[in-house]
Amino acid sequence: MELFSEIYSCYYQVLRHLLLAPGALTQQDIRSLICTEGFEESLLSIIPRLEGGSWNLFKKDGTLYRSRISSSFTTPVSALEKSYLKALLSDARIGLFLEPAQLDELRDMLTDVSPLWKPEQFYCFDRFSGGDPYEDEDYRHIFRTLLKAQRQNRYVDIDYTSPKGTRLHHHYIPARLEYSVKNDKFRLLALKPASSFAPRSRRKRTAYVKKNPDYKLEILNVSRIQSACLLEKTYSAPVDLNAMIRRTYYREPLKLRIVDKRNALERAMLHFANYEKNTTKIDEDTYECLIYYNQGMETELLIEVMSFGPMITVLGSDGFLGSLRERLLKQVKICDHP
Amino acid sequence: MSDFQELIKSFPKTREYVRDFFVYGFKTRDEFKEKSPRTYDNERRRLESWLGAYVRKDHVPKGSNISLAIDSNLLDTNPLFQVWKTKSFTDNDIVLHFLILDLLQSGDAPSAEEITEHLLTKYEALFDVQTVRRKCNAYVREGLLQKKKIGKTVVFSLDLSLAKWLRSNDNMLDALAFYQMAECFGVVGNHLTQQSDFQNQSFRVKHSFCVHTLEDEILLSLLDAMNRKIDVRLSIKGSRNGITHTAECTPLQIFTSTRSGRRFLCGYLSEKKRFSCYRLDTVKDVSPLSAGTDPASQDVYNVLLSTLERNKKYLWGVSFQGTSRNHLDKLTMKIQVREPCEQYIVDRLRQEGRGGAVTKLEDGIWQYEKEVFDCNEMLPWIRTFIGRILSLQCTDKSVERRFYRDLQAMYRMYQIDNPERTDKTESND
Repeated sequence: MELFSEIYSCYYQVLRHLLLAPGALTQQDIRSLICTEGFEESLLSIIPRLEGGSWNLFKKDGTLYRSRISSSFTTPVSALEKSYLKALLSDARIGLFLEPAQLDELRDMLTDVSPLWKPEQFYCFDRFSGGDPYEDEDYRHIFRTLLKAQRQNRYVDIDYTSPKGTRLHHHYIPARLEYSVKNDKFRLLALKPASSFAPRSRRKRTAYVKKNPDYKLEILNVSRIQSACLLEKTYSAPVDLNAMIRRTYYREPLKLRIVDKRNALERAMLHFANYEKNTTKIDEDTYECLIYYNQGMETELLIEVMSFGPMITVLGSDGFLGSLRERLLKQVKICDHP
Repeated sequence: MSDFQELIKSFPKTREYVRDFFVYGFKTRDEFKEKSPRTYDNERRRLESWLGAYVRKDHVPKGSNISLAIDSNLLDTNPLFQVWKTKSFTDNDIVLHFLILDLLQSGDAPSAEEITEHLLTKYEALFDVQTVRRKCNAYVREGLLQKKKIGKTVVFSLDLSLAKWLRSNDNMLDALAFYQMAECFGVVGNHLTQQSDFQNQSFRVKHSFCVHTLEDEILLSLLDAMNRKIDVRLSIKGSRNGITHTAECTPLQIFTSTRSGRRFLCGYLSEKKRFSCYRLDTVKDVSPLSAGTDPASQDVYNVLLSTLERNKKYLWGVSFQGTSRNHLDKLTMKIQVREPCEQYIVDRLRQEGRGGAVTKLEDGIWQYEKEVFDCNEMLPWIRTFIGRILSLQCTDKSVERRFYRDLQAMYRMYQIDNPERTDKTESND
């Protein structure tokens, strides 16, 4: 079983789509599909082979290319892929997706297959305890409702208890289900329509909606959702979630100076690899790293930066530096070390 | 650059380049010293071709450098999966792939000779029988085809039931969309969703460390050795000095960190009679050693697994040995908590404290205590409580000293006024 094999190659994917495209293709169709699905320079490799006939997979009909393979062509599942599917059957989260009958069906099809890994072969030493209850039927029902609403662009009526114990009841648009590896929890990235948080007075409301985006992004812990009801109401306006998240980022990024001692540079680069960052070399062993973040990430980022101790220096932003100094000031006041 | 090829034959060299560009992303052409400038140019061009949307170019005084700007909060898939889709192949490979699989879609089970003949009559594609048989046998090994002997004839067939089940099952496609982001070997899940022409538009993963997909080939070899319960020889390139050395061990378990995404092999070194962990991103090659199929060696393997299991309660991270001479050291931290509004701090001690004892000493004062092999590993976590640490004690005094020394250094770095304590601590050092 090879992980790095041509059967999983990008070119094979591109060719499959070309071969299964409905009707005959012009060279322009072919070029545009390669540009969309291939790598940036794939055109230079694929076109000459199709034109020259060394990939004799199309019949030339004047200027048109007709596929030689049947339109119902299906690629079989490889041994590696079967083994991967078998491993997923041992994961507790699979029950969030598949009904018991579907699990049995899949199990039957993979009877003679060995799993690619077994859960006991992995040990996650720093995962927080108190992960979500994936086997709880109520939790599963809520998860599936949210997923269905998300897939069908439907509103969902959510009754939620916040970590502080406040009860919230709103209509939301589920944008994404976010899984936290560290917390072993799902969160709902939910959009709240502007109308639900705008002022009640008509004049103020019109002015507010003009000034503010259509939706507000909220993050809800799935395990804290008491009930979720699928509504008939759908939304059709496309929501650019990434643009919305980016808008929440502070203009001034976190600016760190890293002196490469005790492997601090590599450790920091790997540790902050999940953030968008930009690193510049200042001199032989000093580097500056910019990290882009928003208010929701701030506390976690501050904690991560503190965990490095004096190995990295915060140069900005002023707000972040202020929060760090505040913690140090508190510390200096209470520490009773001689 | 006439010999530039977008696709590559072998993964390891590219793995290092992609990792360096991703992790560091500040090296200019002159700073990549291990390979020739020509190699650097080719690798950079490939990277730009594969991952164009994520490549950022910055102009610096000594030239320009490129980096990968990937914000995991905004991703529906791991962009680095693209690197796994770059294996080169021959013209025959791709033509036979589509034609043989197309021929067998009907459910027939022809021999290699019959397939060769059909390729000519149905598709006007001329191949010799040896080439066709070789490809069919390779696809049997990959699990794409089934091989059966009927009388003296070997025939090949295709089973599409699972592929069709996957394509038609929305729940399973959702599961694959999730697992490709959230579990190991996500690239395999990504292949499956791609084959079903399905894209993830429902899930995001927080704390996702894309770069570690590059170690999956190493992980696959290690899991294979673990399943066979055999020893391995590892070729390891030191992350600090870049020097390559080898180590032989019995591979027992993969340790993973959710905070950095790092994965480690935990193995037993029979020569030194101890457990040790190796970072997978530093392992460059894995060679299987002894066959180990006899019942006695299988028993030894199982005993090692049980011993490791017993030891794990004293592990904080991946270190089985601290700096002190003690077998185990105890760390005790007292912290200040404003109750009840800061109850989440106590929750943090419980959820993140890996089984350490959490005790309320009096109103507003809580104690955390844990005995581990190497208390040094606890310091990064301990520092996250800065601002509320009343005291820190450790039976390994060097850990205690290091904590307070680092704290003083931070006071100095951020001009926190504490001249009296600074003097005292420095004199203690």
